[in-house]
Amino acid sequence: MRSSLDRPDDLVSRIRRSIDWVVVVMTFSVIALALVNLNSAGRGDWTGRVATQLRWVGLGTLAMFVVTAVDYKVIYRGAYAAYAFGVGLLALVPIFGVKVKNARRWLGTDDWRLQPSELMKILVVLALARYLHDSSAKGLRGLRGLMVPAAMAILPMALVVYQPDLSTGIMIGIIAVSMLAITGLTLRSMLVLLSVAVMAFALGWSYMLNYQRKRIDVWLDPELYADKEGYQTIQAMISVGNGGFFGRGVDSGTQNVLGFLPEPFTDFPFAVYAEEWGFVGGAMLLTLYLCLVLWAINIASQARDRFGALCCVGVASMFFWHVTINIGMVLQLLPVSGITLPFISAGGSNVLTTMLALGVLMSISRSRHAR
Amino acid sequence: MIDLRQQDDLRDLRPRFQLIVLVVLIVFGGLIGRLCQLQVLEGDHYARRAERNFVDVVDVEAPRGRIFDVKGRPLATNRPAYTLYFTAWTRFVVDPEEGLIATTEGERTPIDDASRDSILSLLDYVDSADRADVAELVDGLRGDESRGRYAQILRRNLSWDEYARIQARISDLDPWLEIRESSRRYYPEGELTGFVSGHMGNIAREVLERSDHLSYRPGDRVGQTGVERQWENYLRGRLGARSRVVDARRHEVATPPAEAQAALPPDRDPIPGQDIHLTLDLDLQRVAHEALARKLAGAVVALDADSGRVLAMVSVPGVDPNRYEQPIPAELWREWSESPLKPFIDKTVQEHFFPGSTYKVVSALAALSDPEFDPDHTIDCAGSVVYGGRRFKDTHVHGSVDLEQAIAQSCNTYFFDLAMRSTLTLERVEPIARALGLGERSGLGLNGEVKGTIPTEEFEAREGTYQGGVRLNSAIGQGNVKVTVMQLAVLYAAIANGGYVLTPYLVDRIETNEGKLVLRTEPQRRTAVPVIDPADRERIHRGLVGVINDERGTAYSERLRNIVVAGKTGTAQVGRETERPANAAAKIVGWDTTQDHAWFAAYAPADDPSIVVVAVVEHGGTGADAAAPIVMKVVEQYLGSTSSETGTRPRGFGVPPPLPGRDEPSDAAATGPALPGQRPGARARDGKGEAR
Repeated sequence: MRSSLDRPDDLVSRIRRSIDWVVVVMTFSVIALALVNLNSAGRGDWTGRVATQLRWVGLGTLAMFVVTAVDYKVIYRGAYAAYAFGVGLLALVPIFGVKVKNARRWLGTDDWRLQPSELMKILVVLALARYLHDSSAKGLRGLRGLMVPAAMAILPMALVVYQPDLSTGIMIGIIAVSMLAITGLTLRSMLVLLSVAVMAFALGWSYMLNYQRKRIDVWLDPELYADKEGYQTIQAMISVGNGGFFGRGVDSGTQNVLGFLPEPFTDFPFAVYAEEWGFVGGAMLLTLYLCLVLWAINIASQARDRFGALCCVGVASMFFWHVTINIGMVLQLLPVSGITLPFISAGGSNVLTTMLALGVLMSISRSRHAR
Repeated sequence: MIDLRQQDDLRDLRPRFQLIVLVVLIVFGGLIGRLCQLQVLEGDHYARRAERNFVDVVDVEAPRGRIFDVKGRPLATNRPAYTLYFTAWTRFVVDPEEGLIATTEGERTPIDDASRDSILSLLDYVDSADRADVAELVDGLRGDESRGRYAQILRRNLSWDEYARIQARISDLDPWLEIRESSRRYYPEGELTGFVSGHMGNIAREVLERSDHLSYRPGDRVGQTGVERQWENYLRGRLGARSRVVDARRHEVATPPAEAQAALPPDRDPIPGQDIHLTLDLDLQRVAHEALARKLAGAVVALDADSGRVLAMVSVPGVDPNRYEQPIPAELWREWSESPLKPFIDKTVQEHFFPGSTYKVVSALAALSDPEFDPDHTIDCAGSVVYGGRRFKDTHVHGSVDLEQAIAQSCNTYFFDLAMRSTLTLERVEPIARALGLGERSGLGLNGEVKGTIPTEEFEAREGTYQGGVRLNSAIGQGNVKVTVMQLAVLYAAIANGGYVLTPYLVDRIETNEGKLVLRTEPQRRTAVPVIDPADRERIHRGLVGVINDERGTAYSERLRNIVVAGKTGTAQVGRETERPANAAAKIVGWDTTQDHAWFAAYAPADDPSIVVVAVVEHGGTGADAAAPIVMKVVEQYLGSTSSETGTRPRGFGVPPPLPGRDEPSDAAATGPALPGQRPGARARDGKGEAR
């Protein structure tokens, strides 16, 4: 790396330098694939969902670069306020929310609506990062130190699960736990946390709604429910397998084109993608995600402080879990849930949140050591 | 404000970062590995499963064989039609906000109430029972996922109105409905050939269960009566299969992806059913039908006297077989089944009647088989005889009659006398009658023939003691003698052709769709030697000629100008037996059950008979008045068209029959397409007329 002394100092160069091109290139590569894939899932329709997604990508890009331009110290200062703002929005949802299919998750109009629970993911990351940064400075590393961060995660979780949106709620929880696991939690605390989680699951199983329990049954043996609950899972697997090594080609996957694949826009777009792009394309997309996650961890490891590192870890875990759970579901490694695939799934709030998160990443990247 | 630059912090996080990187690599490695497993290692398996999703093999109905008359004019053909298929369980639901959407998890759900109702409202119904039937079918499928998930036939032969209505609503009801092209049976001659061609109907459950090797499926249409039923296996053909690309709604995709199209298995063409060429002559059939149409109920059979070919076979009233292609209103159905005219019964073979005086030829032949009987001996007819304390009446006093005159004048007393003198015992008559084909099925094989009855003493004694008077009644075709029209035709054919009892046949030949001969019926005589002695035959023949040509003959008034016809009238007394207080509602104008059944059996020309015609008119009155004119018209048509250049021309194909009361169009006015090279009325054996 060249010394800063050699660098030209005009505005364009400064902007160019302050942008993390790795993030930008990988992000827009995924976005490009996502738009092509959404077009496929919509049977060649460039106007409907693709256009909507594109609008949100535009908004997200703006947000991403604005956040990048902000020094992350400002982010640090505003973390709690943003968190409170997000919780406030969440609290408004049951009152003013738009109801779609029995769930009230959105604010706004039918055309432009925002899902505060999505936004909450990145806000929880910021707030937790700040709290853990502060608390580690005070030397709190034991279980008692978990009380406040647990509360910070559980409050929005409860609001989200109430909507009801169990998947996003659990996602917030998983991201929070991932962040806690990175910061100085002792091994003992983590074991305790793990056993609590197992007990909670065992307890939760008996309280789980029937359809949720059914999902697990279906996941264990989808062929048994091939015509009902297992239909989705099986059709998704067939789509993926039908892709073969090189894929069927864009717009030529029979599973998608002939409508055998349910939910090709939100839950199972990866199946559409895998059918059309094959193993080559699938592995490529996974590698792009992998690089983003690893790059985020790399930035974390080079961050100037704990807050920056934790933010990066939060963003990385957000990506990691979304990708793992969604693709794991499509590949039938995990039960069906509503977790989306960043960018590839149609969903404005998700795009905006993801790009905000990447903005945070780039902002931290600006001030990391290695530059 | 906390200082953000506590850089030392992060060093202890290093091992954890390394751990996370490891975990992330392992997890992504796992995902890629799984992707590899599904796509590369098991890719072919899933590709097959994907094919199974979109490949739909549908049956292709084989075109049913057609039925033609002797000149190749169609009696039964096929017409294109639309059939509505209904799938009750689909992966689609109607969402109150978004309209028609796929179910959340791709599960099948039964059709919702609103859509069900709108589907039911798209069809036309003949009556409320019809609507209830369709609704019941729909609801049955809604309640049974195992059947309801497949497309089932909801309605055949959609009318244009129904078709247009469904097409207009198909976007809302698309997952549940599909219109497929099919064909329906069409009978151009309708009621005229209704009993010959028969009609089609849905396969009965029992038949379906018995027929696994014939691979019938529920909802198949099969021949129910007539030739359609008798020759079902020839007419039917073999199903073909066509594969197509379907989408998740199992509807055919208009422009499927090329790869999907290429993956389809090859189609299998259906084997069309075989065409049946009948011996029936539509011209003759039409003449017979028109002649009979003015009567309420009756039947006519015309046979070729030498071969037993059925030339015409009419029974009225009948039902237009085209009616069975559409739902029949329950009210109409009830009316038909309760009608005393019995429109479902083919009165040529399915009903037996007292033959009346037409049976006297049998009695005469039986008498002649008695060596002691002298046919030239005359007796004096006094108009009645008394036997066993009962008076057996004749129509009038015939005076002095011998056998020939007894036949010509239809003298009952003569035969009473023979019966009283034990020349005509039941033992003597019965074997003769059986030898002449009575009391047994004729072997035509159509429409469930009845045997009729020829009484024996044993039979007559079944209810207590045998009364000698039965002999007298039996001798004149009353008592318990019962024959079908077809049997009587065979009997008179035997007299006409010199004593050979023939097996009548209706099917001349069967050909494949390409015209290759499959089967040809040869004339079949029941015995190698004549069953009638030539001398006896001659005597009876003279009597039968006398019936029409002797001034004293019963049918003298019906004689034809240029054709000598031999025949016998019959007036079977049924009036009193069947008279019962008919309820007022079922009263039919002109249907007088106190009237006798009128018979006439004849063959012509007398010196070299070629045609035998038998007619019966139920409750028509006397044979000479009611039945003989019908027979004469048929004879005239047949012989006029075959032997006389100046006779009536056969009606050309497509030329409508003359209106009742009018004659055939004259030669000058005849616009019928007299085909070049085809002699009018030549008994065409090529059978490849204009209808092909």
